[in-house]
Amino acid sequence: MKRTQKLQNHLFIGMAIVAGFALLPMLSDERFFLGQVILFFIWAIVAMSWNLLAGHSGVFSLAQLLFVACGAYGVAMGVTYFGLPIWVAIPAATLLAVVVALIIGLACLRLSGVYIALLTLAIAQIVHSLILSDTSCLDGSGVSCVAVSGGTRGISGFDGFGFKPILRGNWILGNYYVILGAFAAVIFAIVVVIHGRLGLAFRAIRDNVGYASSRGVDRKRYQLLAFVVSAFFTGLAGGLYAAHFQFAGPSIFEFSNVLFVLAMMVVGGMGSTWGPLIGTALIMVLTEIATGYGDAKNLLLGAALIVTVILMPNGLAKVIDDTFTKLRGVVRPKTIGKEVRN
Amino acid sequence: MKRKTTSNSEITPAKSRRSFLKGLGATSVATPVALAGLNKAATAQNNDPVIIGCPVSLTGMIAADGIEVRNGLEMAAEELNEQGGILGRPIEVHFADTESKGDDMVIQATQRLIDRENASAIITSYNLETGAAMINAAADAGIIAMHAFTSTTHDDRVLADPDRYWGIFQYCPPERIYGEGLLDMIQTLEETGKFDRANDKIAIINGPGSFTGQIAAAVRDGAAEHGYTISLFETATPPVSDWGPVLAKLRADPPAVIAMTHYHVQDQAQFMNQFTTNPTDSLIYMLYGPSLGAFRDIAGENSVGCLYSSVIGVLQDEIGTSFAARYRERYGENSSPSVGAMAYQAMFAYATAAALAGGPGEPYDDTQNRLVAEKLKAINIRGPVGTMRFHHDTQSAVSYPGETDDPSLGMPHIFSQIQDAKEDGYVVSPWPYAVRDYETPSWIKGGE
Repeated sequence: MKRTQKLQNHLFIGMAIVAGFALLPMLSDERFFLGQVILFFIWAIVAMSWNLLAGHSGVFSLAQLLFVACGAYGVAMGVTYFGLPIWVAIPAATLLAVVVALIIGLACLRLSGVYIALLTLAIAQIVHSLILSDTSCLDGSGVSCVAVSGGTRGISGFDGFGFKPILRGNWILGNYYVILGAFAAVIFAIVVVIHGRLGLAFRAIRDNVGYASSRGVDRKRYQLLAFVVSAFFTGLAGGLYAAHFQFAGPSIFEFSNVLFVLAMMVVGGMGSTWGPLIGTALIMVLTEIATGYGDAKNLLLGAALIVTVILMPNGLAKVIDDTFTKLRGVVRPKTIGKEVRN
Repeated sequence: MKRKTTSNSEITPAKSRRSFLKGLGATSVATPVALAGLNKAATAQNNDPVIIGCPVSLTGMIAADGIEVRNGLEMAAEELNEQGGILGRPIEVHFADTESKGDDMVIQATQRLIDRENASAIITSYNLETGAAMINAAADAGIIAMHAFTSTTHDDRVLADPDRYWGIFQYCPPERIYGEGLLDMIQTLEETGKFDRANDKIAIINGPGSFTGQIAAAVRDGAAEHGYTISLFETATPPVSDWGPVLAKLRADPPAVIAMTHYHVQDQAQFMNQFTTNPTDSLIYMLYGPSLGAFRDIAGENSVGCLYSSVIGVLQDEIGTSFAARYRERYGENSSPSVGAMAYQAMFAYATAAALAGGPGEPYDDTQNRLVAEKLKAINIRGPVGTMRFHHDTQSAVSYPGETDDPSLGMPHIFSQIQDAKEDGYVVSPWPYAVRDYETPSWIKGGE
């Protein structure tokens, strides 16, 4: 299948997914349910962005949730301390994530493999610890302290998307469609990147850095680009998260959330196009089922990871892809050899 | 903001403690009996359970308190159901674990309870949130939410926007009562000749965060009114294992009172161990920590003499001790009735108000829920933590003796003193709930 044809097919799938979600509130307007779907959009953006970086570019960074935090804290601080309107704060926070990614990327991409993972994790954990131990007093009185970063409790109570006074009881629909719009833009952008020349260059470096370099693909330049593009989408997700919950706190990027998103990516299938989306949906459903069983949630996540790694090493996306290929083979057996994954 | 809601001339210390508590005993029995009477007279609206939602931390850092809250609510639901629930409808409590996390998790948990479980009301104690998450989710759904954040911010929010927060109740007094109450209690000790100040100085050792900061500020701001000056105002960030620098300042300029609002139990116990090696003639008050067995375990005999207080704690009276015994029998000797009792009594308050209003409202049915809120403001509920009665404007519990002179109309701010390192502290104030007299600590000259 030609690359442009494949791109068109994936864009068509993307449109079908977005259309389905656009119609969903007509089937159920339950606020909790829509709230969970909004969370799905946000985590799916994070998982797909991470997949672009780790799955397609071969850069196993563990700082992805730090970029979520950059977006979230950027919005929280922008609105709270600088009085920015939310529609300005979100792009500003997204750019903040890009700048942070550029700095971290320049430092980390001198390394490769597991060293990148260790260094990015260390940077994320240092920032997390700094926020947790922040006991500074913004007002300087030493009594009613409000830490600049919000400390352990975070920053809250700032203006959200502003739909509550307009839509009143249905405010969540406003949030839903705004975040769906961002989700749609991100998945189309990621599909275009993955199935365009840029994605090809990313995968060339991932699969054989020596050969890619000999063909003029600069590893550092392209991996830095992947790092920054991924951080842009992830920062946007963080900004949306903060605007929806009107909150930014250290719980956003604690290590359990890193594992949570990693599980989405691995279960769905790293290096695939729609795997992270499938993984996000599955992990969120599993988490919902496990709610009420305390720490069983983490056990369930662990079990899902083990089962996937053993039985489906390429994730659910590959299983679904193979199943469709087999089904097509039954109908049109002659086309089997021409199908290419992705 | 200091105010008194009543000036009761009938109840004076001259009236005997026994006769007062006997009267309260009758009142306390009357509450569940009244509810049982309402239930008996009512034709059950239907058999659908009334769902009470509780977003609380059942895992993570503050899970110990969360589990006690769950115990208290389950015990209350069981006892209420034995009396017919709410107008014949059984009560079911559903919990959503907030995992000791922040606003985002609390919002999701509360929304789950409202939309998924169809909770008619939210009752919890506290979460690691900013104080806006749970109440906004409940206010959006038009239901009652009862919490024990112990926060002046609650009062400010309700006063600023009563149309939005008509259903949000803080079933304990705000934190500033701790500071104001301490100064009043010291004054009472002085007036009754139980404490003789060595000088007019108070040293405040504050902790991080707005909760302790508000209490420290209340002591600082009220000191002059009681004839004191602040000789030291130090903010300590936990963990503090070496109190040497702070103790050096205290010993260089010994105060009559040391008020420690820094409430980390290990740090407080270490303070006592280091303080008693070369003590000053100071009355020592500490927030929260001395109420825990761990404090006495670490400080041992050095803990004896320490004062501590709670604006919502189990009384050592007939009702309180009976509750504590039932609670411990049910949940074990190591359980904490003080935490469980708060939510337990809040549940009784909600059930009574809902029954008086003709039944609980559903989520987004703010007409019926507003009636329940009105009844909550109108009733007094006597239980193991004393009387639960709400200010009509702030919808926080009225504190006795800080905000009312009448012990039957406010939740007692109880001061306890450790008098034996092997036992829990004894309530030494206020009248009529005190079971022991205050004893001068051994480190004060002339002490025992």
